[in-house]
Amino acid sequence: MAYIKASKNPSGDLRERLYLPELIRGLAITTRHFLRNLFVGRDVNSEVQDRTGGNLVSTVSYPEEKTPYPPGYRGLHRLVPRDDGKPRCVACYMCATICPAQCIHIEAGEYESMDPATESRVIEKFPTQFVIDELRCIVCGLCVDACPKDAIRMDTGLHTPSEYNRSSFVWDIPRLLQGPPVSHPSDPWNKRPSSAPPPHQHVEAHTRIGQDVVRPRLAAGEQHQRTEVTDQPIPVTRFLKE
Amino acid sequence: MKKSIEVFAAIGVILGVIFGLSALAYALGAWIEGGFPLPFGHVLVEGGLPGWAWVSNILILVLVFVMVIATFLTLAERKWSAMMQDRIGPNRATINVPGLRGRALGGVFHVATDALKMLFKEDFRPKNADPLLFNLGPILAFAPVLALFAVVPVGPVVNLGGHRIGLQVSNPDFGMLWVFAIASLAVYGTSLAGWASNNKFALLGGVRASSQMISYEVALGLGLIGVMMAFASVRLPELIAGQTLYLWGGATDLGSSGQLAFGIPAWGIFLQPIGFVVFFTAAFAETKRAPFDVPEGESEIIGYFVEYSGMKFGLFMISEFAEVVILAAITTAIFFGGWHIGFFGDAWLTRNMAGSPILLGALYATIFWIKVLVLCYVQLAIRWTFPRFRYDQIQTLGWKILLPQALVNLFVTGALLLLDPSLRTLAIVGFLEIGFVLALALRRGDKEVAHRAHEPHLPDDVHGPAPAALPGAAAASHH
Repeated sequence: MAYIKASKNPSGDLRERLYLPELIRGLAITTRHFLRNLFVGRDVNSEVQDRTGGNLVSTVSYPEEKTPYPPGYRGLHRLVPRDDGKPRCVACYMCATICPAQCIHIEAGEYESMDPATESRVIEKFPTQFVIDELRCIVCGLCVDACPKDAIRMDTGLHTPSEYNRSSFVWDIPRLLQGPPVSHPSDPWNKRPSSAPPPHQHVEAHTRIGQDVVRPRLAAGEQHQRTEVTDQPIPVTRFLKE
Repeated sequence: MKKSIEVFAAIGVILGVIFGLSALAYALGAWIEGGFPLPFGHVLVEGGLPGWAWVSNILILVLVFVMVIATFLTLAERKWSAMMQDRIGPNRATINVPGLRGRALGGVFHVATDALKMLFKEDFRPKNADPLLFNLGPILAFAPVLALFAVVPVGPVVNLGGHRIGLQVSNPDFGMLWVFAIASLAVYGTSLAGWASNNKFALLGGVRASSQMISYEVALGLGLIGVMMAFASVRLPELIAGQTLYLWGGATDLGSSGQLAFGIPAWGIFLQPIGFVVFFTAAFAETKRAPFDVPEGESEIIGYFVEYSGMKFGLFMISEFAEVVILAAITTAIFFGGWHIGFFGDAWLTRNMAGSPILLGALYATIFWIKVLVLCYVQLAIRWTFPRFRYDQIQTLGWKILLPQALVNLFVTGALLLLDPSLRTLAIVGFLEIGFVLALALRRGDKEVAHRAHEPHLPDDVHGPAPAALPGAAAASHH
């Protein structure tokens, strides 16, 4: 009958054969870890590699401590506001067209009167509806690349938050329009009639939400119209191939 | 730094509670023996109740100390193991009252959540299980464990108002024999639970438990006989009193000199290191905890309590931890000098605190519980350090290693005691044994030496592999 003496210790080392000294060494290692973790406070630096101190715990206890995302992280979309608080979007449909998931729905509106008093006099169109179905979005970032007006960005560094129903994942202008406003010298409303210094400041904000937040300024009584959330299917793609 | 202060504060609070409870145990014992004297000169029982202090000892030592420490060990098992493994451990349960809101306090509240969970879970009994034996199993597993503590002396006997109060439930002549007898009863609970569950895995666990526990009974007893021979007694208070003698240095007796003298006490661990290892290992196997957790076998069979739920399972679990406490207490009493500081100060303390016997007794009891807690930590550390034994390894260890070791140790101890009744020769041999093991533990092992020898020797400032030199570069450097 085949019988393998599996417990035979091949080691010739006296310490290992005696077993007890090895046990003591094992206990010493365990106790060293225990004492270091007991008496030394935990460094909560979310960059685990950069932690210092004697504590050996490398846990990031998530809801309280969060690991920052890398700078190029594509987070939740935002519609970039202008200085006056309106979206920079000119409803050109480029983002909706390039979107491979077809999750962007835009309805364009036209400025009725060219009021020379407003700085929007050079813009003809604006989005009356700008809706992103965040459940369909595949976070590819093509909309950001396609936008000619730097009007949509994915620099919030946020996830899509959890919701209880699907319609709440459809983000409209009031929810999308957030973050610091941005203006470029090439913006049509910044075109200067003369070479005099401009009265306004260009803010090319390469910022994230939370850094240098400027609340969009709206005129008195003015409010962005909130999209009605219904249980009806949202016609996100109806403008394509009709 | 802040964490250290918090930890030290927590330790201080724990020691304060232990001290207070011990003092309370003494006071309650004196109050009971005095026949419940009331503030205005009334005495409920005329003439007192001499010898009835065991009631307070059962209440405070067994039901408060052992049970509370065992309960908190369920938390410590998780929290300490987390610290040993560089994790955080339980820290989510909090109580929503002002001042404590959002503070986990090291996970203390998980004790309450565990207890509540156990109490409110459904108490399920399989249809074909034997109802009587199924219910009897946890009781028989739990009761002997608590009964074990009856003979363990926690504090010294002090004179309180004419009553001699000691922190010991009972001091029978048979002393340690009670421990052996009752410890062997615990196997009935587990094997009955395994059999009555009407489950093959439970039966397997029960059989494993009984074979393991019965195997280690022998080594358990033989490990202690050396100490009993050295002090010529089986009563734990006498064993403790024997360990207060100084082998070298210090005062020769506790009361004869009030000096703060240093010396080496005749602790059991110094006299009987092999006996200690044998006893501790065997008793550890009796607790059925890892590395001896084959009866439970979480990863294969769930063990003898696979069919138990709710508080019945809780009883099995708490009895396991109560066994840990009691093993630590018995080991403290027999091998670590009981409630004595040992190396210095006992005589000085006894003389200078003679005016307040209750504080002296509570102080000694606190020292005892400190030793117990340290040994509890050692047991938990063992459980989280060592890999499990295979079943044949368990039996090999019990019958082929521990038993012969204990027998040889017994003969050697007897011979040395005949040679030199002053215990000094025995202690020298003991120190040699301890020194041998420690020297081996501190020595660099053969494997390490061999491993180091094969490593390429790199200068300290080189991090990572050195860049390979171009073939021409070496030749060019010669020119």
